Formats: sequence, structure tokens, C-alpha cells
Amino acid sequence: MDVTTERQEGVLTAQVGGRIDGSNVAEFEEAIRTAIEESDRAVLIDCENLGYISSAGLRAVLMTAKTLSSRNAKFALCSMSDPIREVFQISGFDKIVAIHASRSEALASFDS
Amino acid sequence: MLRFSEEVMLLLLNDSGGKFVDVPAPSLDCALAGAVLMDLAMENRIDTDPERLFVIDPAPLDDDLLDPTLARIVDSAETHDAAHWIRETTLQADQIHDRSLARLVERGILRQEDDRFMWVFHTRRYPVIDNRTVREVKLRLMGVLFSDEIPDARDILLISLSDVCGIFGSLLSTAELDSAAERIAQVRKLDLMGREVAKAVREIEISLAAAVAMPMH
Repeated sequence: MDVTTERQEGVLTAQVGGRIDGSNVAEFEEAIRTAIEESDRAVLIDCENLGYISSAGLRAVLMTAKTLSSRNAKFALCSMSDPIREVFQISGFDKIVAIHASRSEALASFDS
Repeated sequence: MLRFSEEVMLLLLNDSGGKFVDVPAPSLDCALAGAVLMDLAMENRIDTDPERLFVIDPAPLDDDLLDPTLARIVDSAETHDAAHWIRETTLQADQIHDRSLARLVERGILRQEDDRFMWVFHTRRYPVIDNRTVREVKLRLMGVLFSDEIPDARDILLISLSDVCGIFGSLLSTAELDSAAERIAQVRKLDLMGREVAKAVREIEISLAAAVAMPMH
């Protein structure tokens, strides 16, 4: 699992690659937590290179969404492969977290 | 911190007399089995996806509610899905039930009272000593049900377990239950283990119904 981040106009984008499961979920949480700054108005997790996510990984994503919600910061996911999107849909995450087809669509949604 | 199976037992407690709300035994067995697996997941000992349940860390937790199930999963020669381990763990549901109650007594939350009905039949009740803990668990559930906030991981799992064994029917009025139904359905989807426990209960109900419907020769 690898996380690379970039920030533009108060929006943190974290590109996540590889697999997220119980064996590395703490690293994922730590990487996201330390990357987020107080001044960030939105956080986007780009899942284009995410190959697998387990229940532990889904919980970590949900907790990130919860933390940001309590700070009134926006949160979204984008660029999922079909199998990953299916996992999120089965879990009903799409009803709680915004999921966009592309990074540009997600970034545009933060300004609307 | 209480284990999920202890919280389920507290939620099942009838406030007035230390007796438990009647829920279908197979549902409670599945809920208690799911509770143990959920605690193992929260302790990062196991993880799941729709196809399998797998070990992350085989180290025992020094917890007699969780370690026997963890040992069985660790020792299994094959990998199975979550539904398999729920069915397997229901075989230990009586021990999980009794141990959970014993721990609540040891923690000073409940008191065990043995009595005889009509001088013959042995009865046991668990009056509440520490009502604060019971209230805290119930308030946590209500807080999630009647808000739009993203629930905490533990609360998601507890709502799934409560729904599986029909606890909400005794905690909420019919009107409250109606207004919370959509939220319960939304929250219980959020965790795979919760969905698998509900599925296991449905399968048991279907097989029981099929057995009842089978013509006798």
C-alpha cells in the first residue's frame, strides 16, 4: 500500500495504491491523518491504483469521513475500478460518502 | 471496554426485573457469534472481504471470550468466509452467553440472583447494579439511530447485532421503530460482518421454515 499526497487551494488529494487490509490499515490511517492540515477545506482519496480493500480498510475510510465531517471539511472518493466501486456500493458507502468517476469531477464538486 | 457480546446482553435486559427480553434463540446465537468475530476484527486479529475471513495477527488477547474462537480460526487448515465462521461460532453460543453474563457480574454491572419458582423450578435473574453503563449503551444506539452523523465503527457493529436479534422492538415504540427503520437498514449495511450475521440468521430462519413445512410420513 502506498499513499502519495498533493495539496491545491486547500484541497488535499491522496492517491492510494495497492491493497488496504488489516495488515496495513494503521499505516493508511496514519498517512491520511498526518497529511490532513487544519486549513484543508476538502480531502479527496483517489482510488485509481487501489487494487483491494478489506472490511478494515472500509472502516478506516469511513472514520476519515467521520473526522472530516465533524470539522465541516468535505470528503470524497474517486476513480475506482469496477470491483472496488462494487465493494463500496454493497456496503452502502455511496449513500454516505461522495464517490466520483474522475478526479476532475471530484475536485469540481468541492467548489460547487 | 465492554465486549460486543456483553453489550448485547445488556441491551436484552428488561429494566424492571433483571430478566431478559425474549428473542428467537437462533438469532441470539448468531448475534453472539457475530459479536465475538466483530471484537476479533476490532482487535485487528481477523479481517474480512466478501469471499473470506482471514487472520491478521494470531496472537491471543488473553480474553476468554475471544481467544477460543481466534484459536479455531488460526488452527483451521482452510480459509473460509465470514458466514462459515458465524455458523461455527454459534456452536459456542451458550458459552459466550454465560461468560458474557459472568463478566458483567464480575464488572459490578449486574448481580446474579438465583431463586426457585413454586419451590421447584430454578430461576435466575440479573438485576442491574450499575445502571449508568446500561444507559450509556442504549443512549449510544439511540444517538446513531436518530441523527444523520456518520456512525462510529463500534456503533455500526452494535446496531447490526441489535437488529439481528430484534432488540429494537423492545427498545423503541412502534412509531420510533418506523422512523428509524431506514437508518437501521443504512447503518447495518456499512459493515460486512454485520451483513453476514444478518444473512446467517435469514438462512437459519429459511431452513427452520422448510423443516416445519416438510410433510410428515
